[in-house]
Amino acid sequence: MICFMFPGQPMARTDLPASDPLFLDMAACCQKASGFNPLADDGGTSALNESVKLQLYGVTMSLYRHELLLRQYGRPDLIAEHSLGIYPALAACGSISSRDALEMTGRIGLCLATMGAVREYALGSVIGLTIDPLESIVTRNSVFIANRNTSHHFLLAGERDNVRAATLEAEAAGAFSVGLFPCDAPLHTPLVAEISADLRRIVADYSFREPSVPLVEHIGQKELSAGDMPAFLVDELCRPVFWEQTCRTLRARGVQRFLEAGHGMALTKFNRWIDSQS
Amino acid sequence: MSEELIVKVKQMIIDSLRIEGMTPDEIDSDAPLFGEGLGLDSIDALQLVVAMEKEFGTVVPDAATGSKVFASVRSMAAFISENSK
Repeated sequence: MICFMFPGQPMARTDLPASDPLFLDMAACCQKASGFNPLADDGGTSALNESVKLQLYGVTMSLYRHELLLRQYGRPDLIAEHSLGIYPALAACGSISSRDALEMTGRIGLCLATMGAVREYALGSVIGLTIDPLESIVTRNSVFIANRNTSHHFLLAGERDNVRAATLEAEAAGAFSVGLFPCDAPLHTPLVAEISADLRRIVADYSFREPSVPLVEHIGQKELSAGDMPAFLVDELCRPVFWEQTCRTLRARGVQRFLEAGHGMALTKFNRWIDSQS
Repeated sequence: MSEELIVKVKQMIIDSLRIEGMTPDEIDSDAPLFGEGLGLDSIDALQLVVAMEKEFGTVVPDAATGSKVFASVRSMAAFISENSK
């Protein structure tokens, strides 16, 4: 059983397959849908900030890699997604078009960016610490665990100064490495609920078809139906990503091979860690 | 340090990171492991920390130490040679 998995937001725009006609088609689709050209150094538009450009770049790369995987392996048995990966995953399972996935990514990204106009937010990676000490640290610093990627790989989110303090405390508590990344919004935390009405209005502009390939979501590891999708798209921004649980559930369902459709190999590496701990 | 240890370190990297289709001979002992070279990242680093502890009994305590230890295969072998139990 093969599962295509769609990763979250990349940290940088690198490794553009700029000479591949298939990528050129995807980049053109992205520009039509959002005004952003992944092939231009400045993205071809000043209307979008760097976070939104990264999100659009990530989705374009996922759609491109998905096409390559389809050509090599044919249709997968299952599709899984992590965070931003939901948008290309919806296109890959046939629920929306690639153009709609890119347009929705840009519109939701701009909506999330309104939070960053009021407060400074950040994401913090914590590697090498387990959940128990980390939960105490996030509570003390008023931040949230946004991604539970493996037993030892986490992403925190919240107000920037608080995330910085939490990562420093995690490092002092024995984390192998920590990192701080600016972002527009405290993704995958309850703080996003303050813009949920705006997010719902955006999502309501799209029609969703039943998936042609089962799509397993990252919160409760359920298969999404077309009817579930609008609410999930808002809910998932307010709740953590449970990747370890998703990987284990898919393994239990019989997935023997995971293939990553996106920039980099982060999910493949998380799965390697999860499998090594099983 | 011995050439035998260097080969063992290369095999540990291949096994722990599940690098398919690569043999120890194909890894340059002096090439950087992170960024360029093998292109490893912080997720790989923790996997190597665990593998080194399991296979050689050596502990890399933090990322600052790790950035020196994981500079190349040769620096990893030197650290193991100096610190193995």
